[in-house]
Amino acid sequence: MYEPTDEKLMLQASNGNLDNLKILFERHHMHVFNFLNKMCGDKMLSEDITQEVFYKLMKYRASYNNGKFVSWLFTIARNTLNTHFRRAANNHEDIEALDQKHITIDEPKTDYSDLHVALQKLDVSDRELIILNRFQEIKYAELAEIVGSTPGAVKTKVSRALQKLKTIYFQNT
Amino acid sequence: MEKNHITELLPDYLDSLLTETQNQEVESHLADCNSCSIELKELESIIEVIKNESRIVPSESLRSNFYKQLELEKQNSSKTIALDTAYKQKKHSWTNNLLKIAASVILLVGVYFFGKQQQVERSNEEIAKLTDQSQAFKQTAVLSLMGNQSASKRIQGVTFIEEFAEPDEAIVSALKDRMLHDENTNVRRTAVEVLSTFITSETVKNSFINALKTEKDPGIQITIIQILGKIQEKKAAASMQYLLEQEDTQPYVKDELESVLPNII
Amino acid sequence: MKTIKVTFLALLVCSMLSAQEDYTKSLEGIEWIKIESKADIIVRTHSEKQLRIKAKSSSKTPQKAKGLKLVGSGGSDNTDVGFYVVKEGNTLIVRNLRKWNNGDGEIYLPANQNISVTTNGTSQSDIRIYGFKGEIEANARLNGGIKIENVSGPVTANSLNGNIDISFADVNQGSPITVYSTNGALDIRLPEDTPTNLSIGSTNGEIYTNFELTFPEKNGLKSVSSQRVKQNLNGGGVQLQLKTTNGNIYLRKQE
Repeated sequence: MYEPTDEKLMLQASNGNLDNLKILFERHHMHVFNFLNKMCGDKMLSEDITQEVFYKLMKYRASYNNGKFVSWLFTIARNTLNTHFRRAANNHEDIEALDQKHITIDEPKTDYSDLHVALQKLDVSDRELIILNRFQEIKYAELAEIVGSTPGAVKTKVSRALQKLKTIYFQNT
Repeated sequence: MEKNHITELLPDYLDSLLTETQNQEVESHLADCNSCSIELKELESIIEVIKNESRIVPSESLRSNFYKQLELEKQNSSKTIALDTAYKQKKHSWTNNLLKIAASVILLVGVYFFGKQQQVERSNEEIAKLTDQSQAFKQTAVLSLMGNQSASKRIQGVTFIEEFAEPDEAIVSALKDRMLHDENTNVRRTAVEVLSTFITSETVKNSFINALKTEKDPGIQITIIQILGKIQEKKAAASMQYLLEQEDTQPYVKDELESVLPNII
Repeated sequence: MKTIKVTFLALLVCSMLSAQEDYTKSLEGIEWIKIESKADIIVRTHSEKQLRIKAKSSSKTPQKAKGLKLVGSGGSDNTDVGFYVVKEGNTLIVRNLRKWNNGDGEIYLPANQNISVTTNGTSQSDIRIYGFKGEIEANARLNGGIKIENVSGPVTANSLNGNIDISFADVNQGSPITVYSTNGALDIRLPEDTPTNLSIGSTNGEIYTNFELTFPEKNGLKSVSSQRVKQNLNGGGVQLQLKTTNGNIYLRKQE
């Protein structure tokens, strides 16, 4: 059977067919959640933010501009995550402190895989590129839209980030 | 061929995204270059590791909450469209709309620039910029909620503002508008409480002083008197004196005024 | 002769009934019902998809008023039951034209209807609302009290001098619940497991509850901030704000 594209579903949703958002939720919530979880390493927080992302998707459905749906979705997702980081920073928790937090993860903790730990050691933009491109299988063109770059530049960045990741990963194991 | 070039082609080589000629170039280079072959092996294994990394499943409440929100939104969506025809304060509705339109423009522009600026290296500055964009997101939500027909939704909009570190002029003025003109007492009272967190602003102080003259609900009157009393706002003395002299001012409000007034004159 | 008598009687009964007929109106395209009254008002649910205003013997038009229309401050009787009903956009305005002493109204609506009820009677003008699933706004502007039972919210209730009693069947997590009164007492019943961000406070009244609440130590200062005790119940959820100036607050677990 022919499955309607995300874009078509979202367009209809923005015109009032809200039930389509259920389909989009089912298709994508795992991706958004896992992206956030790999970004911040906090399952509870990731759930909260995923919730917020889909809420925004619903609330701002009218501002969907026909672009690639995943680009839009992940733009909202990283936006929301950054807001959270900023808010945490405002609550006397420095941005630097958030980085520190990730570093404390490499104390042996069975919950986290070696890969997860290695990822946390990359800087945010590299980590983000790898997660989006490699975990969520977002193509360079869409990735470029999300991070506001060109496909060529993104490709180079992903490749470099992968190199950094593997260096860290193989050092540790 | 430069070694660097090959390295950057390797991920695509593994994904079979390269053109036939590029493929051949890579393969011929790999045949000659030992370090690149090692590179490829490592890359292959890290990609394998990534592939095998388990995906975790969020709790069921994520879905049920979203479905609930969606049901609610379905109930509300027709309401939002017809909002202005039914909303009592017609004279404010066009300004509300204007704000809403302005906010959605900010939102759209925000998403666009948000992307463009990402090339800049990561820095605190960048994070600050990102937050400005999400502020615009929130702003739209808040303004649209504050224009909702439902008092509960308007209160939700008003209380969201507590999350803003530094709400901008549009938000503060929308909040003032709620405090001074909302037909529902609870909305006005909540607006007073939220506005009191921005009491250092002169506009906010002045709007409290104005509200003292117009507000008829004694509960709200007392809240405002206490807020102004706490910061010992001298400019408020005249309004307080006026309220004290009004015949229809409740006795317990007068008591409050009499206890606060001496401290600020 | 007998048949004539029976027919006559039947006709008489019919005409009496028609004078007593309920007023009904379709709710097509209506999102909100705004009820305004100077007298007691009761709002109940029914399974019909329309508005029904009960005709009351007490609200019967006096003999002398035959051929005349009841007029009030807010319009003239266009329902024959003493109400003025008009559609404004997606809102249906339902205005009770009678004064407090002979005009209590009983209104039936579908359970999922959003309703807003305002009374501003100088004497008794209580609002009673039973069994709604939609949003409820209740304002007792002068001396009336508010009683709301078996609802799920969101509820926005306010009174000046009357008490407010609300009993929740469950608590809708969609948007905030606020219950404020200046001089009245609040008596609120919640299911024990309700997740909520509770904010409770009274300037001069006392607070009584059998929920586990911890209050910060009073520092002897009467300040606005000390009025706001915030606490999460059952992990936190929708905002629930209970505030009074002079009345007590009773917060109970639903039995």
